[in-house]
Amino acid sequence: MILNIFADILPKCLAFNRATGNFNKKLCYQILLIPNRHYAALKRFYRRTGILNSDGKFEITLDQRKLKTPKGNPFIINSEPLALAVAAEWDAQKEKIWQSSMHLTALCSTAIDNPNNLTKSDLVQHIMSYLDTDTVLFQSSEADELYELQIQEWEPILKWFCKRYDVKLEAARDISGPTISHETKNVLTKHLSSFNFWAVHGFSFGVEALKSVILTLCCTDRHISVEKAVLLSCLEEEFQSGHWGRVEWAHDLNQQEMQARLAAAVLFIQLNSSSTFVQSKQQCVAA
Amino acid sequence: MSHREIVSTLRRLISEIRYISSEKKLHDSLLVKYIMMQFHKYKETDQQLCKAQEEMKFLALSYLCYLQSQRRFEEIHNQYHAKGERSVKETADMVGFKLPKDPK
Repeated sequence: MILNIFADILPKCLAFNRATGNFNKKLCYQILLIPNRHYAALKRFYRRTGILNSDGKFEITLDQRKLKTPKGNPFIINSEPLALAVAAEWDAQKEKIWQSSMHLTALCSTAIDNPNNLTKSDLVQHIMSYLDTDTVLFQSSEADELYELQIQEWEPILKWFCKRYDVKLEAARDISGPTISHETKNVLTKHLSSFNFWAVHGFSFGVEALKSVILTLCCTDRHISVEKAVLLSCLEEEFQSGHWGRVEWAHDLNQQEMQARLAAAVLFIQLNSSSTFVQSKQQCVAA
Repeated sequence: MSHREIVSTLRRLISEIRYISSEKKLHDSLLVKYIMMQFHKYKETDQQLCKAQEEMKFLALSYLCYLQSQRRFEEIHNQYHAKGERSVKETADMVGFKLPKDPK
């Protein structure tokens, strides 16, 4: 009986401690000994969310308590709109807290904590490894409707991309995949490295969501919208479901999740790159 | 993007924020205040080709997409996701039993 009561209160204490950083190691050890059956039922324990401004850096408050990262580091953000968006994410949680849907918070926490101790060049290499198997470069080997659709939708994107970055990329029609020259890789590596560490995290997140470097870069360069990028990434799936039928709890769910992830990535990159967002007092300079 | 599209984006953004915000008056929300301030600021450079204005429009659309996708994802998930096992109390109610701690 006592075990049941303890197992009820414990997850709330643990979540509360984790979020506000009051990490009592003795309590933690006791928690590990007792089976925890209520992992997903983390309830909202705060009424209001807000942001604090200290010297141009921003922190998130849940009631009066300051938010901390999973590792216990202070959750400090340089950009005001990003802080507002993170506070809005926490505010959007109703009774239960769904940490898996708070993409902006997760991106910020990962950038602050850096749990795998990655450097910027590690991340850029990881992103570039997706270029060898880029979605847009794999086209159908038969002359069918799908191939026509791919030519119609992907070719303009490829052309724009090649012109924008001054590279040569060609799609492959067989399973061995496209051949990508070293110059192309160098150009793109340089471009990605020109962003700061936080923005590169955003790129990594976006590329992993879309499985395509080309589409992510087109989206962050504002050539296509988030919804369009997701549609292009799942072009074959859309084609097949148009023919065989669409299942809401699979196709629509995946589409919404990918859109949420890519939108979060795009927001994160833009809000960490443009100087207008990092210091809110700067004025817009007309081009 | 024309003026009408900008107004429509703003309206959709505000309506999405209304869903997620726990504030009673939307005027008091910091996020809404910031968005309105940014829209006013960049509205003035309407006639010129301003890179920052393009950035703002894209940012607004992306944030709108983010909020909408999150909400729709939750709706679909709640609609189709399994509810889990019945609790002890529900099972007892089903067969008309009372739990040991319930008042008689």
